[in-house]
Amino acid sequence: MTGSGLAGVMTAGSQTFELARRSLVGERRQLLSVMPGLIFPLLLAAVYTKQFQRVLDMPGFPEVDSFLDFILPACIVQAVSFGATAAGSELALDIENGFLDRLLASPVARGPILLGRLAGAAVVASIKTLVILAVFLVFGAEVAGGLAAMLVMVLVAALLVLVIGGLAQVMAVRTGSQEAVGATFPLIFVSIFMSSAFFPTTLMNGWFRVVAEYNPISWVINPVRRLVIVEWSTADALQALGIPAVLALGTISAAALALQQRLATP
Amino acid sequence: MTVVVEATDLVRHFGDVVAVDGVDLQVEEGEVFGFLGPNGAGKSTVVRMLTTLLHPTSGSARVGGCDVISQAGEVRRMIGVALQDAAIDPLMTGSELMRLQAVLHGIPRSVIKTRGPELLERVGLTAAVDRRVGTYSGGMRRRLDLALSLVHEPPILFLDEPTTGLDPTSRQALWEEVRRLNDELGTTVFLTTQYLEEADQLAGRIAIIDAGKLVREGTPTMLKSTVGAPTLRVEVGPEHVETTTTVMTGFGAERPSREGRVAIGLDEGAARVADVVRALDAAGVTVIHLELDAPSLDDVFAHATGRRLEGSGDEQ
Repeated sequence: MTGSGLAGVMTAGSQTFELARRSLVGERRQLLSVMPGLIFPLLLAAVYTKQFQRVLDMPGFPEVDSFLDFILPACIVQAVSFGATAAGSELALDIENGFLDRLLASPVARGPILLGRLAGAAVVASIKTLVILAVFLVFGAEVAGGLAAMLVMVLVAALLVLVIGGLAQVMAVRTGSQEAVGATFPLIFVSIFMSSAFFPTTLMNGWFRVVAEYNPISWVINPVRRLVIVEWSTADALQALGIPAVLALGTISAAALALQQRLATP
Repeated sequence: MTVVVEATDLVRHFGDVVAVDGVDLQVEEGEVFGFLGPNGAGKSTVVRMLTTLLHPTSGSARVGGCDVISQAGEVRRMIGVALQDAAIDPLMTGSELMRLQAVLHGIPRSVIKTRGPELLERVGLTAAVDRRVGTYSGGMRRRLDLALSLVHEPPILFLDEPTTGLDPTSRQALWEEVRRLNDELGTTVFLTTQYLEEADQLAGRIAIIDAGKLVREGTPTMLKSTVGAPTLRVEVGPEHVETTTTVMTGFGAERPSREGRVAIGLDEGAARVADVVRALDAAGVTVIHLELDAPSLDDVFAHATGRRLEGSGDEQ
């Protein structure tokens, strides 16, 4: 629709870039709404680290110097989850106030409309992750996997935003309501707690353990955690990146499909 | 003349509601076409279908010679669209939005640099380009919206209720701009409005829509002439009302009017006014006030639907 071949791809690329820039400009101009997503996970990490220091001696708990090392991946995932639904709620706002119609009535392809928002959110998540890493390192956390592991964490954060953001965009396109999108956040928030984020699943019991073990968040957290507390492992890095990459593909495709259906005759 | 907007038996349902019920229309190149109707008549739904934002339930539409469904991309390249409520991101500045809109239309950066400021100047926003749109007044937003819709120099412009909620000065300014676009660039304008005056002032041809169906179509003059005779109103003292009514109904059918006044549809128009006055004089009636009103578009609307448009300013 935007021309043929390379020219089309380049046009779509610059449209995505411009829409991502729009989303970043928006975030920068309402920093107050971004900050809690950074401060709250850091505070929680500080409190947990103080309170749970003795947990480290429990039999079966992974061997770590400090609870800080253990909780680093959880803190990142939590910070990411705060901003991730924004890609959806901002899209819902665009639908509510009619801005989406402006985009749809222009020759822009449908992909950039969704990807622009997501790319903006992914950049914000990457910056947040860098800040969290810096704070953790200052307070004595150690990343066994080194710089490569940190890079993986930044990429995982960006990919997770695409997963959650894509899901939020499906909600946004289906309902056209910011409130409905906002309602998905507690679900994500709770599912982080029902994973291995704050406690190893091996020390859990009953149904909770089953839920946590089948929770995709655990599948991402566990390899990232091994990169932090054990050592660099290419297999762990691939798992940590692969799972959110596949899920993101799924949720973004679902969002694109929903957008297509929105325009069609019911 | 080339037909640039064409709808054939256009229908759109929303669940059980029939929002647009078999609309046929044709707009010729270079026309300002007014699409007039009350709130909820189906104006915006028609515009959304013509601008590729909504698929019709049945029927078809072509814009600029391209089908709005199978050639939606081509249609989008040819049209400028300013929808109701001027949907503009309040966090961005005028010039940022201009650049975004230009990129979305695939306009090269070198062109944007000169065209953007030109367009913003054209709508009188040069001083406000670096302010966030959230600080703009309603009139400024509409003008920015208009400038944005022109960034790719579209031959066909859709304006959905461009002046709803604007003060008279802002409304005039927008009308001027639409006229200039049409005069200077030959832009075809498809304009929806619920204001009779706006349709009368701007549009060369008008279609009236009510409850999803077109009820009238033609030039304003032609439509008004179909309503028939102009209204002659005469104000007299209360003691003369009865005599006046008797005399005047000899010249045409009585029309509703306020107390102390008598109104008729003057069958043969202004030429008979003198005869009416002579007849009243002969009957000993002293006329306090007399006026002859040409039929308005509101009369056309009332004639077609049996209702008056809200806020039409009709004094009866």
